Amino acid sequence: MENDIYSFALKETLNEIRNICPDVKNTFIFRENGEIVAEDKDIEEKTITQVLNSFNGVLEKAESIGNINKVMVECTKGRVEISHINEDFYLVTVTSGKADVKYVSTVTHVLVPTVLKILEKIHPTPLNNQEEPTVTIEEEEIKENQGQPEIPASDELTSRLIVEHLGGLLAPSDTVRIDEETISKWENLCGEKIETVIVEAFNGKTVTCKVKPIKDSKYKGKGMIQVPKAIQRTLEIGKGELVKVKPSIK
Amino acid sequence: MARKENIQDLAVAEILPAEKTKEDLRKALNEIKEKPDVVGYILRNSTSAAIDLKDPSKLIDYAILSSSALETGGELAEIFELGKIKNVVIEGGTVNVLSTSIDENKVSIFLEKTANYEKILRNLLSL
Repeated sequence: MENDIYSFALKETLNEIRNICPDVKNTFIFRENGEIVAEDKDIEEKTITQVLNSFNGVLEKAESIGNINKVMVECTKGRVEISHINEDFYLVTVTSGKADVKYVSTVTHVLVPTVLKILEKIHPTPLNNQEEPTVTIEEEEIKENQGQPEIPASDELTSRLIVEHLGGLLAPSDTVRIDEETISKWENLCGEKIETVIVEAFNGKTVTCKVKPIKDSKYKGKGMIQVPKAIQRTLEIGKGELVKVKPSIK
Repeated sequence: MARKENIQDLAVAEILPAEKTKEDLRKALNEIKEKPDVVGYILRNSTSAAIDLKDPSKLIDYAILSSSALETGGELAEIFELGKIKNVVIEGGTVNVLSTSIDENKVSIFLEKTANYEKILRNLLSL
């Protein structure tokens, strides 16, 4: 419920930006792990996925310049700007060629970080859902007394991750690898050990397979999922594509 | 601000000669590279590449980033139907990168954070 309110507040902010600056064609906010936080009412999820795939291409190569604060693509008919606005949040703004770039930049870079800060102050959890929930002993006892833990909403459990190849002679063909923190987060939310996940490609194909934590440090904490070739073929996906992953709960 | 944009548009659309050769560009880039807040440049086309960086140990990383910058820029332009790319600027934590295509030549200039990339771009396009 609270997530809905946060998402609603941010979506409204983005829509208001478009009302104030009609030359803003599209705008959305995402996290470094690929999670879409809010988007304007006209942009399609497919378009956002394409942007994330594309941005990931440059993001993973930007370590040599101290990572990315901002990317600006100036074109003959407009401009795309991707700005690192707050912790791991990125704001994407697409403007037409007629836009007053400075005005748009001022509006977006004042409004969005301010709204994010206010939302975080009101209640930090929904915007920091990567962190493990802090549960006091008393609360845990209450939960135990109440019997079965509530199963969280499906949206809360769904992560959008970028596909990376998982190869090697010893790599089982029925197991994907994702960040240990994500598995722990799901286990905390669901109250059970997560051993299988449902991987869904954006073409709608799904696969239920085993899951283990990522071993290779270069893929840790980057919102990636290592997928064996066999599963990639089944889902008709490839390296760099975005997939939805959620735990398979008993 | 509007005036500045007009100058840039004009530079890309009209001043830039289509027949500008790689050698002309290289000369221009060597002049730009002399500026204290310029870290170096990469100039490449389908047949050759010229790389001049103050810190050669960054060569491979910068070459990969340079290629990705224009590739990503092209993809974003296509996704949002924004026409042809004029330039791509990446502001990093320590270094900024200005990338542009001039005919078949692809140029990336690596700059200190203090450098004014708009000025550098105008310099490059007006040489």
